Amino acid sequence: MSRISKHGQFLESAYEMKHFAILTAAIICLVDLCGCETTSFAPPPVTVELMRTRARARQHVEIATLREGRVLFVSRCIECHTLPAISRYKASQWPSIIDEMTGRANLKPAERDAVLAYILAARAQ
Amino acid sequence: MKKFLSLCILILAFSPPISFSGVRHFTFLYEAPTSARGSAELENWVTWKRTTDPERLDQVDFRHEIEYGVTDRFQVSVYLADWFYEVDPEHSGFAYSDSAIELIYNLTNPVDDPVGLSIYGEIKAGDRLVELESKLIAQKNFGPLILAYNATLEAVWEGNDLTEHEGEFSQALGASYEISPPISVGVELLHEFVFPEWRDEEKIRNFFVGPNVSYRSRNWFVTVTALAQATDTEDEPDFQARTIFGIGL
Repeated sequence: MSRISKHGQFLESAYEMKHFAILTAAIICLVDLCGCETTSFAPPPVTVELMRTRARARQHVEIATLREGRVLFVSRCIECHTLPAISRYKASQWPSIIDEMTGRANLKPAERDAVLAYILAARAQ
Repeated sequence: MKKFLSLCILILAFSPPISFSGVRHFTFLYEAPTSARGSAELENWVTWKRTTDPERLDQVDFRHEIEYGVTDRFQVSVYLADWFYEVDPEHSGFAYSDSAIELIYNLTNPVDDPVGLSIYGEIKAGDRLVELESKLIAQKNFGPLILAYNATLEAVWEGNDLTEHEGEFSQALGASYEISPPISVGVELLHEFVFPEWRDEEKIRNFFVGPNVSYRSRNWFVTVTALAQATDTEDEPDFQARTIFGIGL
């Protein structure tokens, strides 16, 4: 009798643990995914090469402006949607896209210019 | 309560134009990014729950919430009113439940950092009810895919003289994929551990799973999730569906 009872208790606890195990496995997969290639989806960082790209195009922009543009791009835009790949749209399309989003993202004119400058520099790289 | 509502309406009416504060891709999970500084949004929640064990009960919960970005990392929300409509074999009717204040502070970014993290605190008070809730919100964006995880700890005091106690630990996991710029679809999982009188003698465990869909337009969005209970817990909903409609102010 006690053996059957113990067996029943074991099955019951195994059933309870099943859902916990499913969620734990999903979390492990999430952590694992985060650990590899985490930067591959992030837009390119502001580097000296990026500055040279702007210089070659004879469009001088301060490195601080590009850095601010990138910070705003990766923080404000993701409040509503995932970040599109910068290469997804042509350079000529980006100004109107940014203009359309400026109000929604609560960007000031200087912030709008910084985001656009960063995107155009990153796209030209 | 009426004075408080009037004050909120006056502040909004005379404040300078402010913009949209963000879209929700999930309804049973929170996301790590907080509202931009100076942006505000009105969110209306509707949650329908159907319970059949031990007897059939339908309840529709409503929430009206204003979210405001204080800084780029700190967001404040006020639940103006949580109320519900209940139908069971003996009676039916509306009732006010509670109001609350919610604070979220963002620590890291889900695109740039290995994991985007935010911490959440909420104080709720209502008709014979006080509740404290804290959350850890984790999120990672992989291109068009958003993965989010919430761990929540909740303490509830309710009843006359607030003598009934209950604790709850829950974890939720969600995935949302952007299939086109305005539309995302995904799945949400919710795992709850309920501790009546802050004890675990009853071993109450609930597991819910179901799909979600989110649509966003110029300054509004709507997100819907339908969850079914995968466990067989008495007094817990067999099915629940939540809709959040948000509009920028």
